[in-house]
Amino acid sequence: MTVTVYLPLLLALVLAWSAPRIAERGGPGPAARGLTAIAVAAAASSTWSLTMLALTMLDDLPPLAALDEHPTLELPEPVPGPVALVAGLALLLGGIRLLIDVRRRLGTHRQLRTAGAAEHGLVVADWSAPFAVAVPGRRGREGHVLVTTGMLRLLDAGERRVVFAHEHAHLAHRHHRLVAATAAAAALNPLLVPIRGTVAYLVERWADEDAAAAVGDRDLTARAVARAALATVGSGSAAALGINGGTAVHRVRALTEPAPTPRRRRLVVPALLGAGFLTTVTVATFEFVALACAWL
Amino acid sequence: MTTKGGRRPPGTLEAEVMGVLWAHAEPMTAAEVQTAIGGDLAYNTVQTIMIRLRDKGLVARRRAGRGHLYWPVEDGATAAASQMRAALAGRPDRQAVLQQFAASLDESDAVALRDLLDVARRGRRS
Repeated sequence: MTVTVYLPLLLALVLAWSAPRIAERGGPGPAARGLTAIAVAAAASSTWSLTMLALTMLDDLPPLAALDEHPTLELPEPVPGPVALVAGLALLLGGIRLLIDVRRRLGTHRQLRTAGAAEHGLVVADWSAPFAVAVPGRRGREGHVLVTTGMLRLLDAGERRVVFAHEHAHLAHRHHRLVAATAAAAALNPLLVPIRGTVAYLVERWADEDAAAAVGDRDLTARAVARAALATVGSGSAAALGINGGTAVHRVRALTEPAPTPRRRRLVVPALLGAGFLTTVTVATFEFVALACAWL
Repeated sequence: MTTKGGRRPPGTLEAEVMGVLWAHAEPMTAAEVQTAIGGDLAYNTVQTIMIRLRDKGLVARRRAGRGHLYWPVEDGATAAASQMRAALAGRPDRQAVLQQFAASLDESDAVALRDLLDVARRGRRS
């Protein structure tokens, strides 16, 4: 147990390194879903591990004396004091980051929903900055597309269809949930930050492919993405963002190639990795639950 | 523009009409909107959508000759813009939680994108 308690933390590292490399092998949709599931599982198991390590600091406290009556259960001792302390701090910081992320996400969506009643799935804002975003609906209700006049005037009629189709794909597949789940996982475990970026990229690719299928023209879709992205160069607020630089290039390049077809052989490595993760996660969860039961 | 990819999702046509009206500086007739959207849309379809948009208060019109000229009602869009500014302007941390259609680029990305656009253009011409 002394070793297994550290395993989920190590595996998060492997995941963070390998995910961007194997991300697109199954096509953007399955890859985004699979990575999200794995990231959430990895965050859960590393949180269990940190909790167990941190608890070793407190094992003199009366509630934990219950463990003495269950000789088969034990905390992952011996744990050096500093390790337990670091684990406790990491746990606390993760919790704070998670709270901040959830509040900011919900607050932004709430505020954007007040920007107008979307009677036909579209709200136009008279703003020169080129901006289009899918605003998720509340509690299962249909969301809407929020687009600025700057974006509408930038594009021609065909390119506007691409934008609408792209944003509708985000709403139809509820991409905000995948992105929020991986962001939560990355908040709890910063090693998973690359996964958050990968999933954010994959849902864009997913929506691009849906849009290309909807308008029936990959070149047109590529042009719309490229022109909208180019328009953000040098515009103040968007330039400050800077987080997704480069992804637009990848998206456009992917659209100039034929539509992706998943190849099974190339999925062997991701599948094996996934299986390894799930085993570790199951073991970690099992140990944590056993401990929690003994404690309560 | 064709619809070989299948039917448009509900509301898409209204969005396209609103897009055309906003993108165009002057008020437009239904026929001009039909031309701007392009493709296989029937005039009657466009006309029906314009009337529906007017009933919703999103589009205004005035008589011109035998038909009408349509333009987008600005009140809602101005209000939406001020809400958007309040939510996002100068708040990169908030923009980061959104799925934006195209996030920002640095200069090297811009160069790569322009190259890709040029290649696509040449490909169509040849």
